[in-house]
Amino acid sequence: MDDIRSSHDRELVDAVLADRPGAFERLVREHQGLCWHIILRMVRNPEDARELCQDTFLRVHQCLHQYRHESALKSWIGRVAYTIALRHLEHRRIPIVDNGGDGEASPLENVGDGFDLEAACADEETHRHLHEAIAQLPPLQRTLLTLYYLEEATIPEIARITGLANGTIKSHLFRSRLRLRGALEPRTGVAA
Amino acid sequence: MIQHIDDHIPSFDDATHEREWLAQERAMQRERLQLDPAGDDARSRRYRLLARTLREPLPDALPADFARQVAARVAAAPTRQVTPGGRFESALLLALGGALVLAAGIVTVIYGRTWLQPFGELLPAFPASTLGWLLALGGCLAASWLLGHWQPAPRTTATPS
Repeated sequence: MDDIRSSHDRELVDAVLADRPGAFERLVREHQGLCWHIILRMVRNPEDARELCQDTFLRVHQCLHQYRHESALKSWIGRVAYTIALRHLEHRRIPIVDNGGDGEASPLENVGDGFDLEAACADEETHRHLHEAIAQLPPLQRTLLTLYYLEEATIPEIARITGLANGTIKSHLFRSRLRLRGALEPRTGVAA
Repeated sequence: MIQHIDDHIPSFDDATHEREWLAQERAMQRERLQLDPAGDDARSRRYRLLARTLREPLPDALPADFARQVAARVAAAPTRQVTPGGRFESALLLALGGALVLAAGIVTVIYGRTWLQPFGELLPAFPASTLGWLLALGGCLAASWLLGHWQPAPRTTATPS
Protein backbone atom coordinates (compact mmCIF):
# COMPACT_ATOMS: atom_id res chain seq x y z
CA MET A 1 0.00 0.00 0.00
CA ASP A 2 2.81 2.36 0.98
CA ASP A 3 4.74 1.43 -2.17
CA ILE A 4 1.75 2.21 -4.38
CA ARG A 5 1.28 5.57 -2.67
CA SER A 6 5.01 6.24 -2.81
CA SER A 7 5.18 5.65 -6.56
CA HIS A 8 2.06 7.77 -7.08
CA ASP A 9 3.59 10.58 -5.02
CA ARG A 10 6.85 10.32 -6.97
CA GLU A 11 5.08 10.48 -10.29
CA LEU A 12 2.99 13.48 -9.22
CA VAL A 13 5.95 15.39 -7.76
CA ASP A 14 8.05 14.75 -10.89
CA ALA A 15 5.19 15.99 -13.08
CA VAL A 16 4.83 19.20 -11.06
CA LEU A 17 8.59 19.84 -11.04
CA ALA A 18 8.64 19.31 -14.81
CA ASP A 19 5.81 21.88 -15.12
CA ARG A 20 3.55 19.40 -16.92
CA PRO A 21 0.14 20.92 -17.74
CA GLY A 22 -2.49 20.17 -15.09
CA ALA A 23 -0.05 18.47 -12.70
CA PHE A 24 -0.12 21.11 -9.98
CA GLU A 25 -3.90 21.43 -10.20
CA ARG A 26 -4.10 17.66 -9.67
CA LEU A 27 -1.82 17.90 -6.64
CA VAL A 28 -3.99 20.65 -5.13
CA ARG A 29 -7.20 18.72 -5.79
CA GLU A 30 -5.83 15.58 -4.15
CA HIS A 31 -4.68 17.33 -0.98
CA GLN A 32 -6.97 20.34 -0.54
CA GLY A 33 -9.38 18.39 1.71
CA LEU A 34 -6.65 17.55 4.22
CA CYS A 35 -5.33 21.12 4.26
CA TRP A 36 -8.82 22.52 4.67
CA HIS A 37 -9.57 20.22 7.61
CA ILE A 38 -6.31 21.10 9.36
CA ILE A 39 -6.50 24.84 8.79
CA LEU A 40 -10.22 25.31 9.44
CA ARG A 41 -10.02 23.32 12.67
CA MET A 42 -7.01 25.36 13.77
CA VAL A 43 -8.19 28.89 12.91
CA ARG A 44 -12.01 28.36 12.83
CA ASN A 45 -12.68 31.43 10.66
CA PRO A 46 -13.59 30.19 7.12
CA GLU A 47 -12.34 33.37 5.40
CA ASP A 48 -8.93 33.14 7.09
CA ALA A 49 -8.85 29.40 6.44
CA ARG A 50 -9.41 29.89 2.68
CA GLU A 51 -6.60 32.41 2.49
CA LEU A 52 -4.23 30.21 4.51
CA CYS A 53 -5.11 27.22 2.33
CA GLN A 54 -4.07 29.20 -0.72
CA ASP A 55 -0.84 30.28 1.03
CA THR A 56 -0.19 26.62 1.84
CA PHE A 57 -0.31 25.53 -1.78
CA LEU A 58 1.75 28.49 -2.96
CA ARG A 59 4.37 27.47 -0.39
CA VAL A 60 4.11 23.83 -1.52
CA HIS A 61 4.73 24.90 -5.12
CA GLN A 62 7.70 27.02 -4.09
CA CYS A 63 9.33 24.34 -1.92
CA LEU A 64 8.35 21.10 -3.67
CA HIS A 65 11.92 20.64 -4.97
CA GLN A 66 12.96 20.24 -1.30
CA TYR A 67 10.60 17.25 -0.78
CA ARG A 68 12.81 14.17 -0.32
CA HIS A 69 10.15 11.38 -0.27
CA GLU A 70 11.08 10.58 3.35
CA SER A 71 7.40 10.66 4.34
CA ALA A 72 4.17 10.44 2.32
CA LEU A 73 3.43 13.54 0.23
CA LYS A 74 0.16 13.85 2.17
CA SER A 75 2.07 14.18 5.46
CA TRP A 76 4.54 16.66 3.97
CA ILE A 77 1.75 18.89 2.61
CA GLY A 78 -0.22 18.49 5.85
CA ARG A 79 2.86 19.64 7.74
CA VAL A 80 3.07 22.79 5.59
CA ALA A 81 -0.64 23.51 6.25
CA TYR A 82 -0.24 22.89 9.98
CA THR A 83 2.82 25.15 10.21
CA ILE A 84 1.07 27.97 8.35
CA ALA A 85 -2.01 27.72 10.59
CA LEU A 86 0.19 27.56 13.69
CA ARG A 87 2.05 30.75 12.68
CA HIS A 88 -1.27 32.47 12.05
CA LEU A 89 -2.45 31.62 15.58
CA GLU A 90 0.89 32.61 17.12
CA HIS A 91 0.74 35.92 15.27
CA ARG A 92 -2.70 36.54 16.78
CA ARG A 93 -1.53 35.30 20.20
CA ILE A 94 -4.16 32.55 20.28
CA PRO A 95 -3.02 29.61 22.45
CA ILE A 96 -3.29 26.25 20.71
CA VAL A 97 -3.49 24.14 23.87
CA ASP A 98 -5.31 24.50 27.15
CA ASN A 99 -2.52 25.15 29.64
CA GLY A 100 -4.71 25.58 32.69
CA GLY A 101 -6.29 22.09 32.55
CA ASP A 102 -9.90 21.35 31.77
CA GLY A 103 -11.27 22.60 35.07
CA GLU A 104 -13.89 19.87 34.89
CA ALA A 105 -14.47 16.82 37.01
CA SER A 106 -13.17 13.69 35.27
CA PRO A 107 -16.07 11.63 33.90
CA LEU A 108 -13.91 8.50 34.13
CA GLU A 109 -15.94 7.00 36.94
CA ASN A 110 -19.21 8.79 36.19
CA VAL A 111 -20.91 6.82 33.49
CA GLY A 112 -24.63 7.46 33.41
CA ASP A 113 -26.86 4.54 32.38
CA GLY A 114 -29.53 4.21 29.76
CA PHE A 115 -27.94 6.18 26.93
CA ASP A 116 -29.88 5.62 23.71
CA LEU A 117 -27.48 6.18 20.79
CA GLU A 118 -30.07 6.44 18.02
CA ALA A 119 -32.32 8.73 20.06
CA ALA A 120 -29.32 10.95 20.91
CA CYS A 121 -28.37 11.17 17.22
CA ALA A 122 -31.88 12.19 16.32
CA ASP A 123 -32.03 14.71 19.16
CA GLU A 124 -31.23 18.09 17.66
CA GLU A 125 -30.27 19.60 20.98
CA THR A 126 -27.77 16.86 21.89
CA HIS A 127 -26.25 17.19 18.41
CA ARG A 128 -25.89 20.96 18.74
CA HIS A 129 -24.53 20.63 22.26
CA LEU A 130 -21.85 18.19 21.11
CA HIS A 131 -20.82 20.45 18.21
CA GLU A 132 -20.51 23.34 20.65
CA ALA A 133 -18.36 21.24 22.96
CA ILE A 134 -16.08 20.32 20.02
CA ALA A 135 -15.85 24.00 18.99
CA GLN A 136 -14.84 24.92 22.55
CA LEU A 137 -11.84 22.58 22.53
CA PRO A 138 -8.42 24.24 22.06
CA PRO A 139 -7.30 24.46 18.37
CA LEU A 140 -4.75 21.65 18.64
CA GLN A 141 -7.20 19.16 20.18
CA ARG A 142 -9.89 20.02 17.58
CA THR A 143 -7.37 19.44 14.81
CA LEU A 144 -6.08 16.16 16.23
CA LEU A 145 -9.62 14.79 16.57
CA THR A 146 -10.46 15.80 13.00
CA LEU A 147 -7.32 14.16 11.62
CA TYR A 148 -8.01 11.00 13.63
CA TYR A 149 -11.72 10.65 12.87
CA LEU A 150 -12.48 12.50 9.64
CA GLU A 151 -9.18 11.96 7.81
CA GLU A 152 -8.72 8.54 9.44
CA ALA A 153 -5.02 9.33 9.92
CA THR A 154 -3.07 7.07 12.28
CA ILE A 155 -1.22 8.50 15.30
CA PRO A 156 2.21 8.17 13.58
CA GLU A 157 0.81 9.97 10.50
CA ILE A 158 -0.50 12.76 12.73
CA ALA A 159 2.92 12.89 14.38
CA ARG A 160 4.53 13.53 10.98
CA ILE A 161 2.06 16.33 10.25
CA THR A 162 2.25 18.09 13.61
CA GLY A 163 5.77 17.20 14.71
CA LEU A 164 4.39 16.05 18.09
CA ALA A 165 5.40 12.79 19.77
CA ASN A 166 3.04 9.79 19.48
CA GLY A 167 2.52 9.75 23.25
CA THR A 168 1.57 13.45 23.28
CA ILE A 169 -0.98 12.94 20.53
CA LYS A 170 -2.45 9.92 22.32
CA SER A 171 -2.74 11.93 25.51
CA HIS A 172 -4.48 14.85 23.72
CA LEU A 173 -6.93 12.48 21.99
CA PHE A 174 -7.66 10.70 25.25
CA ARG A 175 -8.35 13.89 27.21
CA SER A 176 -10.44 15.47 24.44
CA ARG A 177 -12.64 12.40 24.10
CA LEU A 178 -13.03 12.16 27.84
CA ARG A 179 -14.04 15.82 27.99
CA LEU A 180 -16.54 15.41 25.16
CA ARG A 181 -17.97 12.29 26.77
CA GLY A 182 -18.40 14.39 29.89
CA ALA A 183 -20.43 16.84 27.82
CA LEU A 184 -22.79 13.98 26.95
CA GLU A 185 -23.41 12.93 30.54
CA PRO A 186 -26.76 14.00 32.01
CA ARG A 187 -26.50 17.78 32.61
CA THR A 188 -27.67 17.42 36.19
CA GLY A 189 -24.81 15.03 36.98
CA VAL A 190 -21.40 15.82 38.50
CA ALA A 191 -19.52 15.50 35.24
CA ALA A 192 -21.84 17.58 33.05
CA MET B 1 10.83 5.19 0.65
CA ILE B 2 8.19 5.96 3.27
CA GLN B 3 9.61 6.28 6.76
CA HIS B 4 8.47 3.85 9.44
CA ILE B 5 10.38 5.34 12.33
CA ASP B 6 8.99 5.65 15.83
CA ASP B 7 5.57 4.14 15.09
CA HIS B 8 5.36 2.79 18.65
CA ILE B 9 2.49 4.26 20.70
CA PRO B 10 3.27 4.14 24.42
CA SER B 11 0.70 2.91 26.98
CA PHE B 12 -0.53 5.12 29.80
CA ASP B 13 1.16 4.56 33.17
CA ASP B 14 -2.27 4.61 34.82
CA ALA B 15 -4.16 1.35 34.14
CA THR B 16 -7.55 3.10 34.45
CA HIS B 17 -6.57 5.57 31.73
CA GLU B 18 -5.35 2.78 29.47
CA ARG B 19 -8.66 0.90 29.91
CA GLU B 20 -10.61 4.06 29.08
CA TRP B 21 -8.37 4.64 26.04
CA LEU B 22 -9.07 1.12 24.80
CA ALA B 23 -12.81 1.70 25.27
CA GLN B 24 -12.52 4.90 23.18
CA GLU B 25 -10.64 3.05 20.45
CA ARG B 26 -13.07 0.12 20.42
CA ALA B 27 -16.07 2.44 20.11
CA MET B 28 -14.40 4.34 17.26
CA GLN B 29 -13.74 1.08 15.38
CA ARG B 30 -17.27 -0.19 15.99
CA GLU B 31 -18.73 3.06 14.68
CA ARG B 32 -16.39 3.04 11.67
CA LEU B 33 -17.54 -0.49 10.84
CA GLN B 34 -21.16 0.50 11.58
CA LEU B 35 -21.67 -2.47 13.91
CA ASP B 36 -24.97 -2.88 15.74
CA PRO B 37 -24.90 -0.76 18.95
CA ALA B 38 -27.36 -3.09 20.70
CA GLY B 39 -24.65 -4.87 22.73
CA ASP B 40 -22.73 -1.67 23.63
CA ASP B 41 -22.72 -0.27 27.16
CA ALA B 42 -23.63 3.36 27.95
CA ARG B 43 -19.99 4.54 27.83
CA SER B 44 -19.40 2.93 24.44
CA ARG B 45 -22.59 4.46 23.05
CA ARG B 46 -21.47 7.93 24.08
CA TYR B 47 -18.10 7.43 22.41
CA ARG B 48 -19.88 6.13 19.30
CA LEU B 49 -22.06 9.24 19.16
CA LEU B 50 -18.88 11.30 19.47
CA ALA B 51 -17.27 9.31 16.63
CA ARG B 52 -20.34 9.78 14.44
CA THR B 53 -20.31 13.53 15.03
CA LEU B 54 -16.57 13.89 14.42
CA ARG B 55 -16.85 11.99 11.13
CA GLU B 56 -19.43 14.43 9.75
CA PRO B 57 -18.13 16.74 6.99
CA LEU B 58 -17.23 20.24 8.19
CA PRO B 59 -19.96 22.84 7.60
CA ASP B 60 -17.80 25.12 5.42
CA ALA B 61 -15.91 24.08 2.31
CA LEU B 62 -13.40 25.42 -0.18
CA PRO B 63 -14.79 26.81 -3.48
CA ALA B 64 -15.38 24.11 -6.09
CA ASP B 65 -12.76 25.63 -8.42
CA PHE B 66 -10.15 26.17 -5.68
CA ALA B 67 -7.52 23.91 -7.31
CA ARG B 68 -7.92 25.64 -10.68
CA GLN B 69 -7.64 29.08 -9.08
CA VAL B 70 -4.43 28.22 -7.21
CA ALA B 71 -2.90 26.56 -10.29
CA ALA B 72 -3.72 29.64 -12.37
CA ARG B 73 -2.14 31.91 -9.77
CA VAL B 74 1.02 29.81 -9.77
CA ALA B 75 1.14 29.73 -13.57
CA ALA B 76 0.93 33.53 -13.68
CA ALA B 77 4.12 33.80 -11.60
CA PRO B 78 6.38 30.86 -12.52
CA THR B 79 9.19 31.65 -10.10
CA ARG B 80 9.77 28.39 -8.27
CA GLN B 81 13.56 28.39 -8.22
CA VAL B 82 14.79 31.73 -9.54
CA THR B 83 13.35 34.44 -7.32
CA PRO B 84 13.38 38.11 -8.37
CA GLY B 85 15.72 38.81 -5.44
CA GLY B 86 18.10 36.09 -6.66
CA ARG B 87 18.11 37.52 -10.19
CA PHE B 88 18.95 41.00 -8.85
CA GLU B 89 21.80 39.59 -6.77
CA SER B 90 23.26 37.78 -9.81
CA ALA B 91 23.13 40.95 -11.91
CA LEU B 92 24.78 42.96 -9.13
CA LEU B 93 27.51 40.34 -8.72
CA LEU B 94 28.18 40.35 -12.46
CA ALA B 95 28.41 44.15 -12.54
CA LEU B 96 30.80 44.23 -9.58
CA GLY B 97 32.97 41.49 -11.10
CA GLY B 98 33.14 43.40 -14.40
CA ALA B 99 34.13 46.64 -12.62
CA LEU B 100 36.84 44.76 -10.70
CA VAL B 101 38.32 43.21 -13.86
CA LEU B 102 38.28 46.61 -15.60
CA ALA B 103 40.03 48.30 -12.66
CA ALA B 104 42.65 45.52 -12.51
CA GLY B 105 43.31 45.95 -16.26
CA ILE B 106 43.78 49.72 -15.94
CA VAL B 107 46.14 49.37 -12.95
CA THR B 108 48.16 46.70 -14.79
CA VAL B 109 48.54 48.93 -17.86
CA ILE B 110 49.73 51.86 -15.70
CA TYR B 111 52.06 50.04 -13.27
CA GLY B 112 52.70 46.68 -15.03
CA ARG B 113 56.14 47.60 -16.45
CA THR B 114 57.40 48.73 -13.00
CA TRP B 115 56.20 45.45 -11.38
CA LEU B 116 57.64 43.13 -14.02
CA GLN B 117 61.17 44.55 -13.83
CA PRO B 118 62.10 43.11 -10.35
CA PHE B 119 60.53 39.73 -11.24
CA GLY B 120 62.55 39.57 -14.44
CA GLU B 121 65.76 40.10 -12.48
CA LEU B 122 64.87 37.26 -10.06
CA LEU B 123 64.27 34.68 -12.83
CA PRO B 124 67.30 32.53 -13.79
CA ALA B 125 68.50 32.91 -17.36
CA PHE B 126 66.82 29.99 -19.21
CA PRO B 127 67.69 29.08 -22.75
CA ALA B 128 65.01 30.14 -25.25
CA SER B 129 63.77 26.53 -25.86
CA THR B 130 63.23 25.84 -22.08
CA LEU B 131 61.30 29.06 -21.70
CA GLY B 132 59.03 28.01 -24.56
CA TRP B 133 58.24 24.64 -22.92
CA LEU B 134 57.54 26.33 -19.58
CA LEU B 135 55.11 28.72 -21.26
CA ALA B 136 53.39 25.79 -22.99
CA LEU B 137 53.04 23.93 -19.67
CA GLY B 138 51.58 27.04 -18.00
CA GLY B 139 49.13 27.43 -20.89
CA CYS B 140 47.99 23.80 -20.54
CA LEU B 141 47.43 24.20 -16.80
CA ALA B 142 45.49 27.43 -17.31
CA ALA B 143 43.34 25.85 -20.04
CA SER B 144 42.50 22.81 -17.81
CA TRP B 145 41.56 25.08 -14.93
CA LEU B 146 39.32 27.22 -17.14
CA LEU B 147 37.60 24.18 -18.69
CA GLY B 148 36.96 22.78 -15.21
CA HIS B 149 35.20 26.00 -14.27
CA TRP B 150 33.14 26.24 -17.48
CA GLN B 151 31.66 22.75 -17.21
CA PRO B 152 27.93 22.84 -16.33
CA ALA B 153 27.27 22.55 -12.58
CA PRO B 154 25.38 19.41 -11.35
CA ARG B 155 21.59 19.79 -10.73
CA THR B 156 20.91 20.96 -7.22
CA THR B 157 17.15 20.51 -7.29
CA ALA B 158 15.68 17.48 -5.51
CA THR B 159 15.74 14.30 -7.50
CA PRO B 160 13.85 11.24 -6.30
CA SER B 161 16.26 9.20 -4.19
